[in-house]
Amino acid sequence: MFSLRALRRPPRQVCLVRNYAAKPGAPAPPKLSAKADATVPAVEEPLSSCAPNTVLEGLNYLKDQPPVLALPDEEYPPWLWDTLKTIELVDDGPGGKAEKARLRRENRKRIRDANFMKMQ
Amino acid sequence: MSKAAATKAQVVRILIAAGKAAPTPPVGPALGARGVKSMDFCKEFNARTAHITPGVPTPTLITIQPDRSFTFITKTPPTAYFLKKAAGIEKGTGRPGHETVGTVSLKHVYEIAKIKATDEHLKHLRLEAIARTIIGTARTLGVQVVP
Repeated sequence: MFSLRALRRPPRQVCLVRNYAAKPGAPAPPKLSAKADATVPAVEEPLSSCAPNTVLEGLNYLKDQPPVLALPDEEYPPWLWDTLKTIELVDDGPGGKAEKARLRRENRKRIRDANFMKMQ
Repeated sequence: MSKAAATKAQVVRILIAAGKAAPTPPVGPALGARGVKSMDFCKEFNARTAHITPGVPTPTLITIQPDRSFTFITKTPPTAYFLKKAAGIEKGTGRPGHETVGTVSLKHVYEIAKIKATDEHLKHLRLEAIARTIIGTARTLGVQVVP
């Protein structure tokens, strides 16, 4: 049957499994994600949109290097899945990292705006 | 403190296709102007990049001493090159942030980070830090990174 995976929106919407009144012995309740694939019971949503063993183009730049393949999700370090989130800097008081980052950002913006005004 | 005779060592940064250095521009004038025999450089460069697929852009740093001898270092190909290959595009967008021209997965980013981590000036960084810089480059190329 045509897989409904194509309609799947990006994973990690809300918490996935809703448990109603206990149904012991029944098959695992269907997940409430956008994937409406009711034929496969309780499949873990993959962390990555890149299936294992996909060929990763361009990374075998050495001569006679075999193509680089994507590995299963579990073989990648856990920090990889958080890299798309911005790092929250906790305010550590005057002179701390948060203040330095904020000042650097403000300075750069000030310079950029000044340069923009000079171009007008 | 007197400086030795002429000027101090000059540094030339240039991007050359692996295995394809030739005395013609852009390599020829860049080196010739500083007194280096481009033929010598090309032979040595091609020998040192023989293990790389021909045509892959290779950043090199050439240090030219006052007596016209030279040494050079090669680095890993630019991140933008890897990202464009991975996304299957030729050029990045002219309007980053507004247009998206390609998509790449975090797995691609991880593998690229592993390659870049072999570079001298990146060896001391955590792989996570390198991966974040690659995502930053993808942003300026207009390449979207998905998990």
